[in-house]
Order: sequence, then C-alpha cells, then structure tokens
Amino acid sequence: MILKMKKYITIILLLFVSSISLFAQNTDAEITGLITDKNNQPLIGVSVVVKDRSGMGTVSDENGKYKIKANAYNILIFNYVGFEKQEIPVKEKTVINVILNENSKSVLSEIVITGAGVQRKATVTGAITTVNIKSLNIPTANITNALAGNVAGIIAMQTSGEPGSNNSEFWIRGISTFGANKAALILVDGVERPFNEVNIEDIESFSILKDASATAIYGSKGANGVVLITTKKGEAGKVNISGKAEYGYKTFTRLPEFVDGTTYATLANEAKITRNQEPLYTPIELDLFKKGLDPDLYPNINWQDVMLKNGSSSDRATINMSGGGSTARYFVSGSYQNEDGMYKSDQSMKDYKTNSSMSRWNYRANVDMDITKTTLVSLGVSGFLESQNFPGLRNDIWYSLVGQTPVSIPFLYSNGLVPASGTGNKTNPWVLATQTGYREYWKNVAQTNINLDQNLKFITDGLKFRAMVAYDTRNENNIDRLKWPEQYNIERRRDRDGNLIMKRISTESLMYQTSSAYGYRTYYMEAILSYDKLINQKHRVGALLKAFQNENRTTSLTSTDIISGIAQRNLGTSGRVTYGYDDRYLAEFNFGYTGSENFKKGSQFGFFPAVSFGWNIAQEKFVSDAAPWLSQFKLRYSYGEVGNDNVGTRFPYLSTISANGIGGWNFGDINNTNNYNGLHFEQVASDNLSWEVAKKHNIGLDVSILNGLFSGSLDVFQDTRDNIYMRRSYLPVMVGLTSTPFANVGKMQSRGFDSQFNLHKKIDAFDFTLRGNITYAKNQVLKYDEEEVSLPYRMTKGYRYNQAKGLVSEGLFKDYEEIRNSPKQTYGEYLPGDIKYKDVNGDGIINDDDRVAIGATREPSLVYGLGMSLRWTNFDFNIHFQGSGKSAYFISGPGVYPFSEGAWGNILTAVSNPANRWISRSISGDPATENTKAMFPRLSYGGNSNNYRESTFWLRDGSYLRLKTLEMGYSIPQRISSKFNMNNVRFYLIGNNLLLWDKLKIWDPELGSGNGMTYPPMKMVTLGLTFNI
Amino acid sequence: MKKIIFVSILSGMLLSFGSCAGYLDMEHFFKDRLNVDSVFTKKDYSDQWLAGVYSQLQGENADVASKGNTPFNYISDDMFYGDRPGGDEYTVYKNGTYTENNKQGSWASCYQGIRDASTFIDNIDMNRQMSQSEIKDTKAQARFLRAYFYWLLIRKYGPVPILPVEGIDYTADYNALAVARNSYDECVDFITGELAIAAKDLPLNRSARYITRPTRGAALAARAKVYIYAASPLFNGNTEMSDLVDDQGRNLIAQTYDESKWARAAVAAKEVMDLGVYHLFTVAFTDTTQSLSQPKTIIPPYHAVYSENNFPAGWKDIDPFESYRQLFNGAVGPAANPELIFTRGFNQPNEGIDMMVLHQMPYTLKGWNTHGITLKHCDAYYMNDGSDVPTNPRVSGYTANNTSNLPLPANVSLQYANREPRFYASVAYNGSIWDNTSAKDADIGKKFTQTFYYRGESDGKQASSPAFHIRTGIGIKKYVNPIDSWLIGGGVVPKAEPAIRYAEVLLIYAEALNELTKSYTVANYTGEGSITVGRDVAEMSNAISPIRIRGGVPDFDASIYANADLFRKALKREREIELFAENHRYYDLRRWKDAPVEEATPVWGCNMNMTKAQRDLFYEPVVISSLPTIFAKKMYFWPISQSELKRNKKLTQNPGWTYYY
Repeated sequence: MILKMKKYITIILLLFVSSISLFAQNTDAEITGLITDKNNQPLIGVSVVVKDRSGMGTVSDENGKYKIKANAYNILIFNYVGFEKQEIPVKEKTVINVILNENSKSVLSEIVITGAGVQRKATVTGAITTVNIKSLNIPTANITNALAGNVAGIIAMQTSGEPGSNNSEFWIRGISTFGANKAALILVDGVERPFNEVNIEDIESFSILKDASATAIYGSKGANGVVLITTKKGEAGKVNISGKAEYGYKTFTRLPEFVDGTTYATLANEAKITRNQEPLYTPIELDLFKKGLDPDLYPNINWQDVMLKNGSSSDRATINMSGGGSTARYFVSGSYQNEDGMYKSDQSMKDYKTNSSMSRWNYRANVDMDITKTTLVSLGVSGFLESQNFPGLRNDIWYSLVGQTPVSIPFLYSNGLVPASGTGNKTNPWVLATQTGYREYWKNVAQTNINLDQNLKFITDGLKFRAMVAYDTRNENNIDRLKWPEQYNIERRRDRDGNLIMKRISTESLMYQTSSAYGYRTYYMEAILSYDKLINQKHRVGALLKAFQNENRTTSLTSTDIISGIAQRNLGTSGRVTYGYDDRYLAEFNFGYTGSENFKKGSQFGFFPAVSFGWNIAQEKFVSDAAPWLSQFKLRYSYGEVGNDNVGTRFPYLSTISANGIGGWNFGDINNTNNYNGLHFEQVASDNLSWEVAKKHNIGLDVSILNGLFSGSLDVFQDTRDNIYMRRSYLPVMVGLTSTPFANVGKMQSRGFDSQFNLHKKIDAFDFTLRGNITYAKNQVLKYDEEEVSLPYRMTKGYRYNQAKGLVSEGLFKDYEEIRNSPKQTYGEYLPGDIKYKDVNGDGIINDDDRVAIGATREPSLVYGLGMSLRWTNFDFNIHFQGSGKSAYFISGPGVYPFSEGAWGNILTAVSNPANRWISRSISGDPATENTKAMFPRLSYGGNSNNYRESTFWLRDGSYLRLKTLEMGYSIPQRISSKFNMNNVRFYLIGNNLLLWDKLKIWDPELGSGNGMTYPPMKMVTLGLTFNI
Repeated sequence: MKKIIFVSILSGMLLSFGSCAGYLDMEHFFKDRLNVDSVFTKKDYSDQWLAGVYSQLQGENADVASKGNTPFNYISDDMFYGDRPGGDEYTVYKNGTYTENNKQGSWASCYQGIRDASTFIDNIDMNRQMSQSEIKDTKAQARFLRAYFYWLLIRKYGPVPILPVEGIDYTADYNALAVARNSYDECVDFITGELAIAAKDLPLNRSARYITRPTRGAALAARAKVYIYAASPLFNGNTEMSDLVDDQGRNLIAQTYDESKWARAAVAAKEVMDLGVYHLFTVAFTDTTQSLSQPKTIIPPYHAVYSENNFPAGWKDIDPFESYRQLFNGAVGPAANPELIFTRGFNQPNEGIDMMVLHQMPYTLKGWNTHGITLKHCDAYYMNDGSDVPTNPRVSGYTANNTSNLPLPANVSLQYANREPRFYASVAYNGSIWDNTSAKDADIGKKFTQTFYYRGESDGKQASSPAFHIRTGIGIKKYVNPIDSWLIGGGVVPKAEPAIRYAEVLLIYAEALNELTKSYTVANYTGEGSITVGRDVAEMSNAISPIRIRGGVPDFDASIYANADLFRKALKREREIELFAENHRYYDLRRWKDAPVEEATPVWGCNMNMTKAQRDLFYEPVVISSLPTIFAKKMYFWPISQSELKRNKKLTQNPGWTYYY
C-alpha cells in the first residue's frame, strides 16, 4: 500500500512540474486604471491579477490607481476583501476604471461545510454549527480552550494550565454515553487527526456536526458528534503573504491561599486543644515562628513563593504565503510557538532547564492543480515537531505544594543540607521543581493527503468524483532524566552543643534515565461519487455515495500481546439523497453502512440511517409578503441512528484460554508424581456484541432578520444511547465464570438545547456585532450494570452519569443535647461543632445508606458565552465572556480538611478567619463563636472520619463566569501601510481570563479539582502584530 | 444508456470497496493461540483442561483438610481448635455468629468446576489424539466431577440450583439467567443419575500414575453417600424444614417420609461391595518389637471366635492398632491401599492434612498444640473388650512404668488403659509419647517425648499464649506418623486424603438396611438388573463386623442387632469412632437431626488449671467454658451469600439466614 502511494505521489509531482511550463507569453501592453467604491472613494490595496497568468499581479496604490501589463486576450481580476470580485476582459482597452460593489453577503448564500462537502446553509437540514475562525481570538497554542462559550453545542472544561497539558476536555452536546468512547470524531481535511495540533492560522473553516443526519455518513464513528476542520487553500491571484507575531505574559488565574507559619501553629494548637489533647506548640515556640529567630527548627515558609514564578511568557509567530494561477494554486505556512511554565529554576543549574515548557514548529503546504479542465489534483502536506519539558518529579509537585506546611521544613538548612518531610510526594517542593532532573517529551508528526476531483459533466451535468488517499505518521518519545539529592529531616531539638540533629530521609540518587516511545501510522482512503442538479429551477436533487477504508497501526511495539500488533481497521459505505423544492421544502436521507473488526464475522457491519426535513417558511409567499424583513425562518427536524464500535477492549468476541488463574492437578501417587497444569477460559468470549447505537432527535430553527442584522438558531435534542458496552460485573457466581464478559447492557439518555445568535450592524465606519451562545445538556442513566439494592437512590440507574452522591449535612452540632437527640452517626466519634447528617432513610442510624444524590456532576451541564465586537475606522474592540453552570464537586484532601493528615497539609486562609470555623467557647471565651453555620467544623488533628467525608458540607458549586477575552486593535491606515508595500498592518492587545466570578473562591473552578493539587489555568496579556503583503 | 452503465459501474466499485469484509478479518492472527478447538482436539491440552476441573476440588472443597479449608471437620461435637484469630474463630462458628459471607469460596469453585466440566463433556468428542476409550474415560471423569461438585454443594447448602448441562448463557439478561433452587430430591436424582452414567465408563482400577482419578467404585460409592443423606431424617419427610422453599413457595425438602430412599442407599452401597475390588486395609500381626515406634502387636483380650480366626473372621493374623493407624498416617500410599475408593491424593498445597498434624503436635515439638477432642468423643471409644468406658466413677490411678499397661507409658491415667486399639491410634491422651523419629541434630533428644498437658508444663495452659493449648487436655494422634517431626531436620510423611473409603460404604449399607421395615427391589445402576434388600441382620453384621474386628473389638451383641433403635445408636457411635476426623461428624449429626442435642451439650474436658502435683484434680471433668456450644435451626444449612442472592433473584435463602437490604 505504501509503495502504491509513493507511486501516486511521484506522478502527481511530475504533473505539477510540467504544468508550470504550460504558461505562454504574448506581447503585453500596460493597462492603468482607478478603482473606487460606489461612493467614488478610491480603494487602496485592491488585488489586480491577470487570469491564468501566475505571478502577474499588483495592488492599487494609496490613490486607488493601478498599473499592470496584459495583452488583449487576458482577463483582469479585481479582488478586495469585503467587495465582490470582478473579472474584466482587456480587449483593446488600455485604461480600465473599476467600481467595486460591496459584498452584499446574502444570508441565503452562506455556505456550510458538511460531512459530504460544501452545502448552502439555506438547504441544510441537520444540526451543524460553522464557526467563524476570526471570532476565536486565541493567542494560545490550544484551539480547544477557545471552544467553551464560543461554539454552540460544546461543553468543555480546562483541567490544567501546564504548558503541554493545557488542552480542554470537550464533548459535543455533553457526555451522552458512559461507554469507553465519549469523545467526538475530529477530522482535519477529511482524515481523523488530533485537533489541537493544527496551527490556528491554517484553518479555513471549522464545523461541528451534532445530529444524526449530519453524522450518519460517518457510521460507526460519529455517535459522539463530529468536528470538521478544513485548512486553507491557495487562491488564484497575486502572491499573498501574511504574518503574525505575538508575545504574551501570563500568570495563574488563581492559586489556593494558605496561612503563614504563625497562624498555622496557632490553629494546630486549637485543633489539639479543642479535642482535649496537648497543644502542639508552646507559647515560646509560637514566638519563634513569628520572629523567625531559628529558621532551621522553626521555619516559616511560603512554598508558593519559593517554588513558583510571578509570571512567564509565551510567544508565537506564523507566516503564510498563498497564490498561484488558475491552473495551480498554493498555500504554504510555517509557525512557531513557545510557552513557558511557572516553576522557578535553580540559577546555578545552567546545563538544562527544569521548568515546564512547550514549543512547536508547524508547517503546511496545500497545492491545488488543474490537470485538465475537469480534473483537480490537490496535495496537502503538513506536520509539526513539538517538544515539551517538565521537572523530573512533576507529578508530585502539586501534591507536595498543597501538603507542605509553612512550619514543616525550611527550603534549605543553614548547614546546606536539603530538607524533606518525607520521600516521594512529600519531598520538599523546591527540590521537586528544581533538583530532580527533567523530563523531555517530543513528538513529530507528518501528514499527507492527496485528493483527486474529477468533474464528470461529460457524462452528465452535476456528476462529480472525488478520491483521497491520506497517510499520517506520528512519533512520541519520552526521556526522563531523574535524580534527587540526599535529603534530611531534623529532631525538634538541638544537641548538647546546640547543633542540629540530622536524620537522613533519603540517600542521593545520581541522574538515571528511563524512556518510552509511542507511535502510530494511519492510512486512509476514500472515494466519493456525487450528483447535484437543479431541475426546472425548482427541483434541487442530490445524491452521494462514499466509500472509505481506515487503518491505524501502532509503530512502536514492545508488547508481547498479539493484539497490540494488529492494525485497527474500519471501512464502510455511506451515502445521502437530498431533495429540495424551490429551496422551501427540503428532505434528506443519509446512511452509513460501516464495518468494524471489533465484532465477530457476520456481525461486523452495521447500518445507520437518518432522515431530516427542512421547511424554509420565510420563502413562502404569504410570509415574504407579510414579513419581508424576515430573511430566513427555517424549521428543521432530524432523526437517525449512529453507531459506536469502541468497546475499550479489542476483539472481545475472542476468548483466551490459559493456565492463568487456575490450579493444576497431580494425578499420581506419592512416588509417581504426575502433574498437569490446569487450563480454563482466562477471558470468556463476548461474541454476541453489537454496536452501541445512538438514536438522535433534533428540532432546529434558523432565523435571520433584515438580511443579517439579527441571525440565530436554536436546536433542541434528545440522544438515547442504547447497547452501551459494559463489563457484566454482577453475574451470579454460580454461572461459573472466572472472567467478566462484555455486553451491550447500558442505556443513557441526554437531552438539552444549544442556541446562538448574532446581531450585526454597520453604520458608515462603525461596525458592531453582538453574539452569544448557550449549550445545555443533561443526561440520565437508564440502564446500568449494577446490583439491585433496596434503596433505589443508591443505584446509578436513574441518575446522571458521574452524579455526585453523599450525605446531606444539616450544619454543625450545637451541643451535646442535640447530639443525644439526633440519629446515631456511625463514622466515628463526634462532638458539638462536628457535622450533623440527615437520616435520609429514617432508620435512626447515619451510615452509607443515607448517601443520596446531591448537586450535579463535575462536568458542567451548561456552558454559555456572550461577546461583542466594535470596529470604528482603524480601531477595533472585542470583549467575550464565558461561563459555565450546573457543575458541582466535592473538595477534599490535606489542603482542604484542616490537619486531616496531621503535620501534612496546608491550611487555607479561609480557615484562619474565626467567622469561618466553629470555635469552642472554652477557647474563644465567647458562645457566639460556636457558629453552627460555619464553613469549617470544629478543628481536629490527624483526621476526623465523621467530618471528612463526602457530604453536602464539602460539595461546592463549580459554576463560574469569566472575562475570557478582551481585545483592542489598531490597524495602520492603508495609505501609510502601502508605502511599506504592506496591505494591512494591525497591532493588538489581548487579555485572557482577566476576571473571574464564581462560588468556589479557593482555586480556579474550571479545573473541576477537588483538592487544588493541579496547575491552574493562566491569565494572560498578549501583544501582537499581523501584517499582510 | 452508456451513462447509466458508467455510473452504475462506478457506484458498484465504491460499494465493494467500502464493504469488503476480508479487510476486517483478523482471526488469522489468533489461529495459533489456544482456543476451544485446539484444546479439545489435542490430548495434552484436553488433559490440562480436565486438570483445571480437578483443581476445583482443592481448598474449601476438600473433604479432609485443616480448618482453614474445612472448619466443618472441627466444629461439631468431637473436635475443636483454639487458635485463629485470637482463639475466637471457633467460637464464632459454634455460637452461630458467622455471617452470610463466611466460607463462601466453595460455592464459586464448585460452580466453576461444574461449568468447566460441562465444557469438557460438550467438546471432548472432537479429540483426534485420544482413543475412543480414553475419550469415554475422561468424559466420565468430567461427569463424575460435575456430579461431585453438586454433591459438595448440597451437603453444605442443602438444595441448590441444578444448572442446564450446557451451562448458563452468560450473555442473557440478568433476569433471564436467574435460576431457582431445585428440590433436594431433584438434586439427588440428577447427581445419582450422572454418577451412574459415569460409573458405566469408568474403569475399575487406576494405575499409580492416575490414582487420583475416580474409578467406577468411586462413582458408585459417591452415589451411595448421596442416597444415604437423602434418606436421612433431615431430608426425608422433614416438616421442620417446610420453610425451605423456592421462589414459588415450593417445598425443597421432602415433607413426607419415604422408606424406599433407604433401600436405594442400601442397594447403591451393595453395588460397591459387589464390585469385589475393595476390602479393609490390615497390617499383619507381629510378635517382635522392631523399634519403639514399631512395637509388637498388642493382642486384644481373648475372644473365642476372633482370637482364633484370621481376618476378616477374626484378628489372629492382624495388628489392629497398626491397621487403623497406618491407614491414615501416610505409611501406605493410595495405590497400595485396597480400602481407599476416592482420594484427592496429595493435591492440597496449603491447609492440608500435614497442617492438621502440625496443629495437633505439642508446642515443645514445634507444633501449634491447638487441635483436640472433647471428653465426649474420648469416652465414645470402647474398652478393648467392647464394653463402655466406666465414667461414674472414672478409673483412678496411674501407670507405674512403661510396660504395666501397654501401650501406655509411665505416669498415665489408668482411664486410658485397656482401651480399644483405634483409641490409641486416634487420641493423644495426657502423657502420650510423640515419636518424632525424623528429628535430627540439635533436636535429636526430643525423639519419643512424653507430653503432659498439666498447668505449668510447656504444653499445658500458658497465660502468655492462651490460644495454643489443648483446651480439654485430650489431643489428636490420628494422621500422625511416628516419623513426622517439625523439629530441626525433621520431615513429615505425605498423607493422601481419605475422601471415601470402603469402611464408610460398609457403614452406609448397614445403616440403610437397619431402617427398612420390609424388603425392596431396586434397579441397579446400569438399569439392567435389580437388587433386593431388607433388614437382614446377617447382612448388617457382615458389613459391620470386619470394621470392628480390624479395630480389635468384638462385633455387637445379637440384642443390638435385634433392635433397630439400639442398632441405630450403635451405628452412629461406630461412625463417630471409625470415621473420626474425616469430616463426617458435622454433616452426620445434621442429617440425623441429632445436632440440636449433641452440638448443644456443653463440652467437657480435663481441668487444665491443675498442675502436675494436682493430677487427680486434672482428671476431674469440667465444662470447658472457652468452647461454647449452641445449636440453632439456621445451623443446619450453610447460608447462601447475600451478594449471590442479589445477583440471582430467584435464589432463596436458607431458613434463619437473611437476605440483603
């Protein structure tokens, strides 16, 4: 297959070279002219090219004048952003003055990229969101972080801010299955490729396919929705060069705030005293912490200051060129980006860096060639090299940072020895970040696709053929170079001579290396036959037939498992038939017939049909007469089935027989030992498996008023996912299996809506846009593999997937009287000031049977965004808010539960505020401090099994609203820029994540983190420049 | 027209490109791995599969093993143990405070064995390397095993679900694969039917290399065992168990008494006897003492018949003590033992018989000093003339030297003098000698150690290690070989498990005949003939007397044979003595419904608080308060685990045990 592909590529390259020599030269005359708009204003920078003559082009000067050489048979093309393109034959003229008309972009002519190619938006009947790339002002490497709040239909959350790991998780219309595969299918130029590795400037369009009608064509892969990305192509015309350079300064959005040493020690004493234990520190020791007289024995360290920088930088630069003649066109781009992390490094170490960072070099070349009048060959080559760097023991840093108390250890002892509270993740955070070596991770990816478009109009008008072959390779490598120093702890006293008494915690480890590699290659081939025709100006018919094959193979194999060496294969046929009458009544039928290697022979193929209908009500005469301002009012409905073949395990229909997990037998007498191994099914076959099937309904409405002044859409959906794969973990033991089979047993339903609107008004030089979107998706588990229990609320069935469950807190116990009169709590001793739980089942005992569904899920059910853009002469301004709601999670861990792990675990500053915690009157001397509504219960030292468990007391609302983007730009007037041969030069300043409103208040709520042991998202200010030649 | 053809051809090409199933065919990658076909067409893999089925007979499914696997051997009225954890594990069992989660491993391993055996039976016919007779034999072995797993289940849990022979379809819906319990009689019919089929194809004998595979005799003997249980009061017309029902409320225990069930048991036992393959194991008479551990035969008191005749008519040519002792202590291997009908051989890697011996051995000899017997069981052994041991008053006084009362050494209570030989082979009385002949080097001086359990002795009650003393002052010698030693350099003789032996079949035969009030004609296992049985005293005596003669005691008086009640009592005592420590008593007391009395009576023993100086008081029986006894109805059947009840909604719990919440 590879050999074959190489041959194709060679042929295509030869064709490309020979086509260049086809251009002929005739005698040219100089043509001049003036280009103006309707108001007779000269237009500067209009591109003027000679059709079919590559490189022959110019732009109009600051007075709107141009000069170009052309012969009488040439055709001049005038092209300018925001204006309609004009083509004028030269003939005998030498002066050609042109008046360009502003683009009267009609709503009805907008296009949408669908699974089957480009389609007019007016005729689309499925639920598809096409995203305007320009509105995603994202100066980060990561396009996924721009999805939340910008794209209707997407629920997303960013769970880390560390360079290289800061992608957002996202789901189209939320999580609609609890099966192995929840992720959307991402296609870049028609091939399954990772999303966030595409250079944003290379993206031409970006569509989200949400309902069954839009995704049926992908058969077994489209169940969770599809993201389609197409990259830019060259356009015939003069060489167009544009570039962009950005520099950003960033800092954490929010870090947990912890108390200082003195406060820590005072609170620790309170935690001891309030439980009738000896205080931990004497008044003299407290004073030592405060005055800092003995930093070895009585340190007072702010570990965040020691370890983290105040800010770091990121920069990006990209340049691309496009152009070409009418027979061949190209788009070539290159980009570089670099992000630095927030860890401080040890200045004495210059040989290598330990801070986390990510840098990436992308390139892309898309070339289109007209081989004949009806044949177009396109070649796309792209790739990147990415490298990441991390501190050696990166995984322990945040645990240690949250756990290490200010009084535990200094960051270096005065005698130069390295302190540690313990080994592993209790190592000194400064050591973890700077003294443990570094990890390198890099990946390189090369992607190639070759397309052939053949117009078959010589057979019949409207018939087209398209074929594509794509071949991608990927390599990922990890090298961890690890070491750590000799580490010590000390006795809490000095010896007779006043010296420190050192205890060695760990010996030194010199640098050693571990490494791993991962890689795969993908081969993809598809062919499409399509037909489109408008008959009698009324009947628009279309048909499409597509076939594809896909193979994924791991290329770095170290496993002995046969399965890991087998390529993953899919193939299928899909198609669609469309009919539209007068663009008013639309109907569409889609199907996917796809095969998967994951099922037994005979059940490998699944058929997934979808139908959809659309009615352009605004086109009806009675409506257009009554409400001519209503440019569009379209109702859509679709229903269909989509499949999923990803079980999480490959070849579940095969069984494994082995001696693992079963004993053998000695058949013989004592002097005749006769041993046999035992054999049994180590894994039984699940040969009855079939597809996980999504049944999707979608009702949609598209509205546009006054030709684009207001436009919006609303989609309501219901997705019932049936036959979800699960391991059957609750088979009776008497079935006699030693392994759990898979089955299609789960069922889940999700419902919700997504909507967006856009208000756009232009008054002279003033251009105003207001836009917003909202996505809401709520799921419910209908069937789940679980044991029957008599308390239905203890089951997964009937609740949301990942529903938070816990005890219901009724505040803190007021006094012993209340304790005596309340149901008995079975989690350990409790006193006044400890958490009182609700006896949900009324049996007089608080135990796990009282755990009920509380709050929502960690992943938000609601994501929304609201933005506004203003443009006035050369200034532009853009503001975008993003929020999410219906999210809840428990907070826990040593950084949240005060002193729950004794001397391990920092104390949040919130605890130190007396109003926030229950304080015994015997300590405060004031009955009012026994606040039963306090945020923290009576302190305890070394854990408290009554208080520190999942309950509404520790459940936090994860909803938030943030100022995601604030952008200001200034474009240099064209008459100035054109003096530097520049078409367009713009400076801008972007702020990201500048403001945050939320209820969590401890760390960034978007992380969804329960313990704060995570690298938070970044707040960033970016200065940038774009230019266009 | 051309256009249409062209478009059709193109479409056809696309369709075939997108649906060529060969592209997805990956099975060739796996064809060289083990699969059902490759396992069952080859002999070695088939044997390995069968070995896997056999392996489920280990652990909690063992018939005779130490208490970690089979506590049932210890928690009746004859034995006890004092260790584990902190000494209260025994108390938990005896107080009935164990839960629905205790000892549920056998439920899983039985049903796993049943499934894997069924797979074997379904597939072995495709074997290309086994001869037809090998296929028949191995298939019959799998069938035997499947039936035996069911037997182990019903003995412990009472009636259980009999699964379809092809196995439960695990792909079915949870509700669809729920199976209700069958009645006890249905279970018995299935098991005995399967054993009869297996018996037809199983050989009469096995070579030493395959001695742990069942024979025809094993299948028939297991069948007799299943039948005698089914005939017993617990399962035969037991209205007390009218609350043991299935999900439809159907009684699972027969509510009306059916005497013919005893006849079935008698016939089944007779069929084993008629095979002519088995006879009781005996060791020849010897009049020379070879060593301290191999003394000359102690001849039982003179009996006009038995002293004059050779075995089985008398004991003239045998050594009763060695005959019984060597049957269990590893002196004879299973292949050389004519009495052994079914054994798991040496397939118990942990908590096996060697561990039992380790826990019986005194502390001073590096044993755990914790397994013992009750005074009740000690008193059950007859005197050497067949009379009962005097208990009111007990015999007082002590042996003066090593020869006055053979085999007793010096300073031993005369209560232990002149007892039947099986007593000396089974009981470690206070002052008995532990031979330890394999001890070497530093511990060589500890050979032939006389061990006393008086307070203050190393093997007596110790405040520092309360779990490790013999609570009643009466220990266990059964399974101990004179060679056995855990001392330095010592070794333990491997002991084959006596799962079913001929003496038990004889006892079953006599017990069943005793219950008959008229004669019955029952078809034999092949279905081709029939056997008629009735309460024939001569037949009963023919069965019992060899057991007693081998043990060196005379047969019962004719008066006992004449009275069914007296005989029943005598037979129960004979089973208690002969089958001691072979995991019978717990189940016997239940099937006879004697447990409510026998297991609820306090445990008596020697007074362990007395020192050597107070040895008369030591023998003054006291109630051993640290060994509680209670019997509640729920203790008849082991509980079914709650998680299994949750998963199989048709399953019903045993009386007295709880469902899940």
